[in-house]
Amino acid sequence: MNTGREDGRVVSGVTLPSLFGFARQPRPRVVGGSVGILSLRTLIGLLFCTLAGGVSAGSYFELPTQPPPAAYGNLLINRISVRNGIAPVVFPHWIHRARYTCRVCHIELGFNMAVNTTEITEKRNRHGQYCGACHNGKRSFGETDRHQCRRCHNGNRYVGEARFRKFAAGLPRTSFGNRIDWVKALHEGKIKPVRSLHPSAYKPLQFEKDLVLKAAWKMVPPAYFSHRIHDQWLGCANCHPSLFNIKRHTTRHFSMVANLNGRFCGSCHLRVAFPLDDCRRCHPKMR
Amino acid sequence: MKGFIRVASILLVAGAVAARADTHGVPAHRPPPDEYGQVVMDNFATTSGIAAVRFDHWLHRSEYTCRVCHVDLGFAMQAGATRVREVDNRHHQYCGACHDGKEAFAVAPSGYDAESQKVCVRCHAVGERVTPRPDFYTFTEGFPKTLYGNRIDWLAAQRRGQIKLKDTVPGVTRRRRPIRHQGETVFAARDLQMPEIVFSHPKHAVWVGCELCHPAIFPVEPGADKISMQAIFEGRYCGVCHGKVSFPLDFDCRLCHTRDVY
Repeated sequence: MNTGREDGRVVSGVTLPSLFGFARQPRPRVVGGSVGILSLRTLIGLLFCTLAGGVSAGSYFELPTQPPPAAYGNLLINRISVRNGIAPVVFPHWIHRARYTCRVCHIELGFNMAVNTTEITEKRNRHGQYCGACHNGKRSFGETDRHQCRRCHNGNRYVGEARFRKFAAGLPRTSFGNRIDWVKALHEGKIKPVRSLHPSAYKPLQFEKDLVLKAAWKMVPPAYFSHRIHDQWLGCANCHPSLFNIKRHTTRHFSMVANLNGRFCGSCHLRVAFPLDDCRRCHPKMR
Repeated sequence: MKGFIRVASILLVAGAVAARADTHGVPAHRPPPDEYGQVVMDNFATTSGIAAVRFDHWLHRSEYTCRVCHVDLGFAMQAGATRVREVDNRHHQYCGACHDGKEAFAVAPSGYDAESQKVCVRCHAVGERVTPRPDFYTFTEGFPKTLYGNRIDWLAAQRRGQIKLKDTVPGVTRRRRPIRHQGETVFAARDLQMPEIVFSHPKHAVWVGCELCHPAIFPVEPGADKISMQAIFEGRYCGVCHGKVSFPLDFDCRLCHTRDVY
């Protein structure tokens, strides 16, 4: 089995029947030598990663290509820009999430979770909706200043790399996404994202239930979900009820394949929050 | 193998149909403020060769209570369920009850001349190049603002007298003496971690009266129905209005779950 990454895609020749074949085989007895155990563990680990990607019958396991850390989560918003003769808008998530939680834009300002589905127009911005809620010349640079247009409408997804490097230098590291451990950075107080644009009216709910999500595949250890950690960034309504039902065990069609298709966890954990490449962050017992 | 696939697909479809609360993990679409509560009515329009009707709740609710249309005029609570026909309107039913040239602009006289067309497209506007009038942002400029739905605090606007709601349609509504209702009712949430819900009859009654909710949506006997959040998300109980026209369910639980238990 080959799980080398080429062009950012994990290529593997494992199909469902062959996996079942592997699963039915009696466990090979490793008689001695730590090297043997290690290699077996590595093999199983790799296999778990492949499984976690969701191998559907006959298809291959695909993860989206990861951009460089500075461009991870950078979106090009082009719903009507080019059609109206202006360059697409670049939206770097990292700049914004350092100062505002996800909730602020994705609940309070009504931004959808998929790019180009929010009907942002210049008119709406100028009336204080969407970007215009902050980019009004008061809270942040305004869109009405003529020379400022290109700060967003520049069509360059890789904008601000030097700024990113400077920003990321003092923050805890991880191996995926922006290579910044955002949760740890928040915990250590290195970033202080605002939870609401109207903090006096905002009173978060305390909901701290931890969930253990059993994997559908017997070989995959469970995923752990912390409401508390997610609540630091999100509001209840970001996930409920559209992504996950509120009643336990009633969420249907929830699988790793669906995540990889950008649904459920994949709504965030594919392009903005740490990517699904980071198996152990959710499935910590994975070897 | 083919047989297996057939059986599996039948089972899958059956499962999907059986599951009421189906979740496909697709994030909710949040409409822009000027489109929140917008309803497209197309029972007969496009099949008759005219554009579908675009109905803006924000414009109508700035002048009338919900009760007027949904009780007195008999509009259903689901889009497209009323099946309004042109002949009904011309006989002063439904839209035609107000759009008669006195209360609001009249339904265009029959005919396909340019002048009639201009009136037609004021409502039959889906896909047509018409500028909606009045403009949402100009119209609502001075209104108190919130962060959800139309981003307008309709209750505060009504309280402050910025909007004056009519609860009658001349020739349709019969005035009766209002019924005294309970004040605020507290509902315990089933999940112990969730704060209690404080439901205010007075706030609701201004807009909906009694008949809009009782007995069709809520039984009058307290506790006769067990209301679950799941049912509300599926568009029953509170979800009949909230999430579509009145404030959305996917903003902040605290809008209803206000009273902390601990």
